[in-house]
Amino acid sequence: MSEKTEVKDVDRSLHDEKNEEKHRYKAQKGLTPEVIREISREKNEPEWMLEFRLKALKIYQNKEVPTWGADISDLDMDNIITYVRPDADLESDWDQVPEEIKNTFDALGIPEAEKESLAGVGAQYDSEVVYHNLKEELVEQGVIYMDMENAVKEHEEIVREHFMKLITPNDHKFSALHGAVWSGGSFVYVPAGVDVDIPLQSYFRQNAPGSGQFEHTLIILEEGANAHFIEGCSAPKYSVNNLHAGAVELFVNKGAKLRYSTIENWSRNMYNLNTKRALVDEDGVIEWVSGSFGSKVSMLYPMSILKGARARAEFTGVTFAAEGQYLDTGAQVIHAAPNTTSTVNSRSIAKDGGHAYYRGLLKATNNAHGAKASVSCESLMLDNESKSDTLPIMKLQTDDIDIGHEAKVGRISEEAVFYLMSRGISEEEAKAMIVRGFVEPIANELPLEYAVELNNLINLELEGTIG
Amino acid sequence: MYNKNLVDNLTTGQSKLLSSRRKESYEIYENLTKGDYKRINLFDYQFPEYSPYNKEYLKEKKWQQELMIKKMTDNLNNEEEIINYLDQFKDKKVKKGNQGLDPKYLAMVEAFYNTGLFIKAPQNVELKVPVEIFYELDQENPFLIDNNLIVAEENSNLTIVIDYRMQDQNLKAFHNGLTRVIVKENAVLNIVKVQRFNDQSDNFDSNISLVSNQGELNWIPIELGAKNSVTNNENTLIADGSRASISSVYFADGERKLDLGFKMNHQGRHSSSEIESKGVLKDKAQKVFRGDLYFQKGAGQAKGSEREEVLLLDKTVDSDSIPALFSEEDNVEGEHAVSAGQIDEQRLFYLMSRGMTKAEAKQLMVEASFNPIFDKIPLNDLKGSVINDVKTRIRS
Repeated sequence: MSEKTEVKDVDRSLHDEKNEEKHRYKAQKGLTPEVIREISREKNEPEWMLEFRLKALKIYQNKEVPTWGADISDLDMDNIITYVRPDADLESDWDQVPEEIKNTFDALGIPEAEKESLAGVGAQYDSEVVYHNLKEELVEQGVIYMDMENAVKEHEEIVREHFMKLITPNDHKFSALHGAVWSGGSFVYVPAGVDVDIPLQSYFRQNAPGSGQFEHTLIILEEGANAHFIEGCSAPKYSVNNLHAGAVELFVNKGAKLRYSTIENWSRNMYNLNTKRALVDEDGVIEWVSGSFGSKVSMLYPMSILKGARARAEFTGVTFAAEGQYLDTGAQVIHAAPNTTSTVNSRSIAKDGGHAYYRGLLKATNNAHGAKASVSCESLMLDNESKSDTLPIMKLQTDDIDIGHEAKVGRISEEAVFYLMSRGISEEEAKAMIVRGFVEPIANELPLEYAVELNNLINLELEGTIG
Repeated sequence: MYNKNLVDNLTTGQSKLLSSRRKESYEIYENLTKGDYKRINLFDYQFPEYSPYNKEYLKEKKWQQELMIKKMTDNLNNEEEIINYLDQFKDKKVKKGNQGLDPKYLAMVEAFYNTGLFIKAPQNVELKVPVEIFYELDQENPFLIDNNLIVAEENSNLTIVIDYRMQDQNLKAFHNGLTRVIVKENAVLNIVKVQRFNDQSDNFDSNISLVSNQGELNWIPIELGAKNSVTNNENTLIADGSRASISSVYFADGERKLDLGFKMNHQGRHSSSEIESKGVLKDKAQKVFRGDLYFQKGAGQAKGSEREEVLLLDKTVDSDSIPALFSEEDNVEGEHAVSAGQIDEQRLFYLMSRGMTKAEAKQLMVEASFNPIFDKIPLNDLKGSVINDVKTRIRS
């Protein structure tokens, strides 16, 4: 008789801490051009941004909700407060950040991390950045790391040239929504040849019931630049369904290298419908590291567009779907130039009735000769209440390519357990080792403090029951 | 064209229950709107005019003694038995993945079939020689809708070869077929289907099966022809220890388009399945491969594997692969693998260094890839002519 391995849920008490709501401004429920104008006025935005928002709103109102993938019929857009600003002005001095907000961030360990070796913190509380800092040396090198609102004003030209050019409001309903109501987020600009050797990170949080979060992240790496950006998400739990429809646009120019790491740990009532895209030029490299643990429903498919010769994309992802979760994630790679390469490595775990879905796309256009791609998806099911699906789509439009794909689904191998036990390891420990080994590829890709947090998040306390 | 009058004409002289089945299907057909096959740009497809098929498609009668073989269009005295078998397909067993050929195409077959066989291997019958069926299309018979039902009763063992073919290269023919298969306890059934229509014709084909305890069903679909070919092969392993396999070969050249769907739906414990597909795309050919492995809850210790290999011979081809793995059971083993690319340059170089021309070397390598599946064709004549057809297509 084989034994099932028990995997405990993530201890959420730390992350599901919520503060009393205290706002100086709250947009009215529902979406109208007036709401959009108010948002724009509050932000003191240039005229073109307001026009852009209004145009996106029109597209949003005319687009259908996607019918494939997750069931999002519970989502009532008219009742989502799209813009909530916390009761704090932009601060550059930690001491001036309000106590309440500080407490939450303290619980999440952010200031500690910053004190150590981190370049800057852009923590998003509700919809706006409340704290921002960047090491002086980076400023000297010409690196810009600031909140998106100010970037629109201070670096108008470059923002205007890139903003929602990669993800357009026409792409889908939620990108249109994002275009209309986006708020907060980070802007990173790394000049040619600059190597940012310490990771830039931002920690996003949501804190108002029914509030959507629509942060926009825009990262531009000039020729030969190098950077690592870390995005982490955690939100307290509320009874009203929450929506997250952010957008991440990454521009990787010739020979530049960007690593974009995410640990998403939204509370279990969140609809996470995020859109992420990277455009990679000649010899450029984009590396995605993605962990999806939280949310009620996730639909997240980071796309890498390899438009320059020899551009490279790597995707490493872990998805952990527990009770009540439907996590529909995957990677998209478009090979649009000669000799481009990509590697996709995805692991998913489903337990307690969770549903993990890998949905990927690999496309090679007719000038992608010499392209090489490999996709590997593995799913581990910890019980038979859960579901695990894999759907990797491939579209090849040229002959001179080398494409390999593999996928597997199954539970913990009894043979492996038996082998480890024959080496003197207890059954519980053997199973624990196998599950830890299963998620190791992503843990290895993260900086130490995030790897530790990843461990906390998964909290893979394995208990075998013998008898 | 496809109206009540036509159904009335078709039911004249046909036995009662099967006639009313046609009429029910017509009602369904009437109320459906036709779907599109977007991935191969087949939009708003217009069915050609109906015409009867008058050729004999079951040429020899030597199996008649051991098997029960009847034409579905005849006045049958065992129609209750047939209806009972058909009713087993009524409840939709598949919840996920590709849903087979468009329902309108299926309803069209059931309402307007002009040919079709009921083949039953009774209990314990083991047939040494394969049953051969030839659906040949020509100038007089350019339109084929075949509705087949094949039943392998307990402990029976048989092989059926269905050859869809045509000689005429300038004719625009149409085929829409449905083959339903029931494999009972411990029975073994092999079905070889060869499709070699000309490059003007359109082919639609659905295959649906139910496999019982320890039953085994092996499909060998070989797709070499037609301008548009849309096929689906869907197997439900309903009971413990049931097995099914698909060994598919396709070759598409010119501007031909293929949309091939394969599905294994595991319900029984210890059920096992294998999908193997080998294909070659040349010129501006387009192909979609859909392979689904679906482990339904309760299919403990089931195993399924899916492998697709595609050789791309030209820059202008378009190859889509959609392999899916759906699992509701933890205690299963499912895996799929896809490899796509061009012919290995080093091997090509080696063969050419031994005195072969590039074309010959390519041809040899394509044959080498197909041969393991061609070897499963039980008739030497058919195998020879299939290999010849592949050769001709590579050279052209």
